[in-house]
Amino acid sequence: MVTSLPATRMGTWTPDPGFGVYVHIPFCTHRCHYCDFNTYEGQDDLHDTYVEALVADIRRWPGASRPATSVFFGGGTPTLLAPARLGEILGAIGDTCGIAPGAEITVEANPETVDERVFAGLLAAGFNRVSIGVQSLVPKVLLGLGRTHSAERAIDALRAALRAGFDDVSADLIYGSPWETADDFARSLEGVVAEAPDHVSAYALTVEDGTPLATLVATGRVPDVDPDLQAERHGLASDVLGAAGYERYEVSNWARPGRASAHNVLYWCAGDYLGFGAGAHGHIAGERYWTTRLPRDFIAAVASGVTTRAGSESLTADRRAGEALMLGLRLASGVDLDAFEQRHGPVLHARRSAIDGLVAAGLVERVDAWPSALPSETLGDCSTKVSNNSRGTRKRGANGLRMTERGTMLGNEVGASLL
Amino acid sequence: MDLPHQRAIAVIAHIDHGKSTLSDRLLQLTHTVSDRDMREQYLDRMDLERERGITIKAAAVRMEYKADDGETYEINLIDTPGHVDFGYEVSRSLAACDGVLLLVDAAQGIEAQTLTNLYLAVDAGLEIIPILNKIDLPAAQPDKYAEEIAGLVACDPADVLRISAKTGEGVEGVLEAIIARVPAPNGEPNAPLRALVFDSVYDTFRGVIAYVRVIDGVLKSRMPIRFMVAKKDFEADEIGVMAPGPMPVDELNTGEVGYVIAGIKEVSLAKVGDTITSKDKSAEEPLAGYREPKPMVFAGIYPIEGDDFPLLRDALEKLKLNDAAFVYEPESSGALGFGFRCGFLGLLHMEIVRERLEREFDLSLIATAPSVGYEVELMDGKKLDVRNPTDMPDPGGIVEISEPYVSVMVVTPSEYIGTVMQLCQERRGELKEMHYLSPERAEIRYHMPLGEIIFDFFDQLKSGTKGYASLDYEPVGLKPSKLVKVDVLLNQQPVDAFSTIVHREKAYDYGKRMTERLRKLIPRQMFDVPIQAAIGSRVIARETVRAKRKDVIAKCYGGDVTRKRKLLEKQKEGKKKMKQIGAVEVPQSAFIEALKIDQEPAST
Repeated sequence: MVTSLPATRMGTWTPDPGFGVYVHIPFCTHRCHYCDFNTYEGQDDLHDTYVEALVADIRRWPGASRPATSVFFGGGTPTLLAPARLGEILGAIGDTCGIAPGAEITVEANPETVDERVFAGLLAAGFNRVSIGVQSLVPKVLLGLGRTHSAERAIDALRAALRAGFDDVSADLIYGSPWETADDFARSLEGVVAEAPDHVSAYALTVEDGTPLATLVATGRVPDVDPDLQAERHGLASDVLGAAGYERYEVSNWARPGRASAHNVLYWCAGDYLGFGAGAHGHIAGERYWTTRLPRDFIAAVASGVTTRAGSESLTADRRAGEALMLGLRLASGVDLDAFEQRHGPVLHARRSAIDGLVAAGLVERVDAWPSALPSETLGDCSTKVSNNSRGTRKRGANGLRMTERGTMLGNEVGASLL
Repeated sequence: MDLPHQRAIAVIAHIDHGKSTLSDRLLQLTHTVSDRDMREQYLDRMDLERERGITIKAAAVRMEYKADDGETYEINLIDTPGHVDFGYEVSRSLAACDGVLLLVDAAQGIEAQTLTNLYLAVDAGLEIIPILNKIDLPAAQPDKYAEEIAGLVACDPADVLRISAKTGEGVEGVLEAIIARVPAPNGEPNAPLRALVFDSVYDTFRGVIAYVRVIDGVLKSRMPIRFMVAKKDFEADEIGVMAPGPMPVDELNTGEVGYVIAGIKEVSLAKVGDTITSKDKSAEEPLAGYREPKPMVFAGIYPIEGDDFPLLRDALEKLKLNDAAFVYEPESSGALGFGFRCGFLGLLHMEIVRERLEREFDLSLIATAPSVGYEVELMDGKKLDVRNPTDMPDPGGIVEISEPYVSVMVVTPSEYIGTVMQLCQERRGELKEMHYLSPERAEIRYHMPLGEIIFDFFDQLKSGTKGYASLDYEPVGLKPSKLVKVDVLLNQQPVDAFSTIVHREKAYDYGKRMTERLRKLIPRQMFDVPIQAAIGSRVIARETVRAKRKDVIAKCYGGDVTRKRKLLEKQKEGKKKMKQIGAVEVPQSAFIEALKIDQEPAST
């Protein structure tokens, strides 16, 4: 029987990307130089109480209007916790919010924390997608980034996940660090491709304020990243990954057809999601909120029965639309403007001249053909059954807008003028 | 006091050679100021003067001195501005004097500026009393410099007085020399009034205070008076003398020095050099030597915040009340917005005006690179005055461009003669004269385009001679030159603030310097931005700001949205503040930086 895959799995913009749940695990054994996420090292003694608080916080949540179509465990390093404990949290989500059949349930994993046994445990706990932080397969680059695992360990992790039976495996790479040559990055790309994961994320190293890396750059001990060079590396990623059958569906994300991350596509479609755990963000219909960042405070809040919410913002309709455009255009499919206005109201008229300017500058282009769903029967061994260009049939007469290749690299210009 | 008992003198001295200290001592010795009231640099009243160590506005002080011959004399000490920009004012101060004190530092010898003023005094036929000051300094070489000065003023080295204004040693002798050597004035007491205005300042409460010396006749209180050049009539509300504070008197007799207050609203109605006469019994001719103040250096002055334009306009209006030599007219620039093209006597004058605007009116300003005024002869025979390079017509329609030349005098230790000559030669100087003041020091005179010295010539001269050389210059008229206008274009659009007029042979250097500088200052855009320097349509230098290739947030997930949106909102706000030159967005700070650097020594 031929059933359609959701657009989110296709990596295509959609006005209804489902409903997501994000869970944050704010612990790492070691914090990397470049990392500005909400994560803490040396708090092992808090792990159990944190899980208990997290579960309790989920269970006291009033519930969701619809079951989750995607769940994502991020960090930090979720796999610092035993699979069974992660399973407990997932169970609480299922009980409180409900999880739709066929939902994508992802967990992030760091190579040094996983092996085949752990992956089997994660599968048993209910996870069906794993995202592994490979970052690089070149020792000096890993060292420069402050990663504690070896290149071999990263490859082992990818293989272990596949061997354990994970059908959806993603590998993360970081490129454009000052220690990395073009050859280094090519080696990392080729090494990852050789393991045939379904999905690859490749991020340009960003020097974020307040990180140890920022201090190193500011004091001249590490050279700053070179945006021109990073643009070249991005091109290299597209070449190598494209040749291996991966399509870029977002600025920094490539997947085999039908293997995009539904949860992340939901973010780019400005969809609704709940966020649980310390420093998690949620968004429901223009209301955004975030929780307290420190694990200790989070635990204390739950223990004393007060909210873990630390702040929120209410978006005006126009700001929400601008944000949705900024996010939606990150997707390679672009945004279906008619559907966009149906959801956000007549917000494009005021942006008409900005759009025309971006079109004239060659940063965005109008598209009249919109990808439609890919039959799920073509899934399976993607490398043989789905060719690189067979991304579903195309719906003619659409009113789409997407970033050009050049525009993608200048996404901030595009985003800023459409906000 | 009767004529034989009158003396009016000025002090000619280089900065720091002790003029103010000598004045202080004279005030004390003549009991004009009591020891109790004495404070340093008594006469330098404006705080601006004191900060810079130079005198901008002259003051005149009356002192009474009982000489060795038993008679009491009235000595008027007329202060002179000490800088090259105010040469005309100096000449008018000197015209009000009977003699001058040539005050020279016994450890340093005479400097260029002093030499120029000395020549002015000699030309005016004034008695010169040469004085070596600071003989108490260990480094003093009075014999050597007495020799040098005697050569210059054609006197016996023994006639050069040796004093220390600081300790008071020999100052009494200065007073005696004034009485003995300086002739009394020889005006005509019964002739119609002619009083020379040698300075005028604006006072918020009293209006203009004109400082005058009565050359002929008598100036009486309440008398209807006429400014002969300005052709304006007033009534002398108050006349008085400075002793040293203002002291009203009923009349100022022939030879006397004092002030007149007549309800005059701005100094341009009582200009330096004008002659006051009696309205009822007018003199036939004004005193000779009046000259319209002529601005020599021009620059655009713009508020950094466009909203400050009305404040700047008001400030300039107020400033003009007190400064007849300063001129301004509104102009607008694509790069800098609305501002004013201002004309100054010289660079120092420009700096003073700018500083006063910033300090007294609390304005943040940006000034374009200074330029001189050009005279352009057009194909159709018309002549055009160009004070802003932007106004220079197309090269095709021009027969000839003339630029102002100055006679530059440099006094330098002999070992730096080569350096100085090289510097002057590089600036298109033409050697006119060189002679040794002594075996160790030389006076060098060049004719040079003013445009070549208004930037950094003085800085270069100072650094090339370890600070020993001194400089002075005076205008000598216009001369045709091979000048071209160099435009700077951003993405084919000329940027008016960077247009300049230079000698043909220097056009390339300017173009290269400016394009390189701008390449570093202009942020990368969505497209390649060529920066060109061009003469007419001929491009002489080119740089390119390469298009931005990557500017995108790498990670943007659920937890990042608010922060990333704010980042882009900030980016958008920043864009709004940029100036649009064609399609190129340039931050205001880039213009400010580019213009700022131009006033620093060039790295040639």
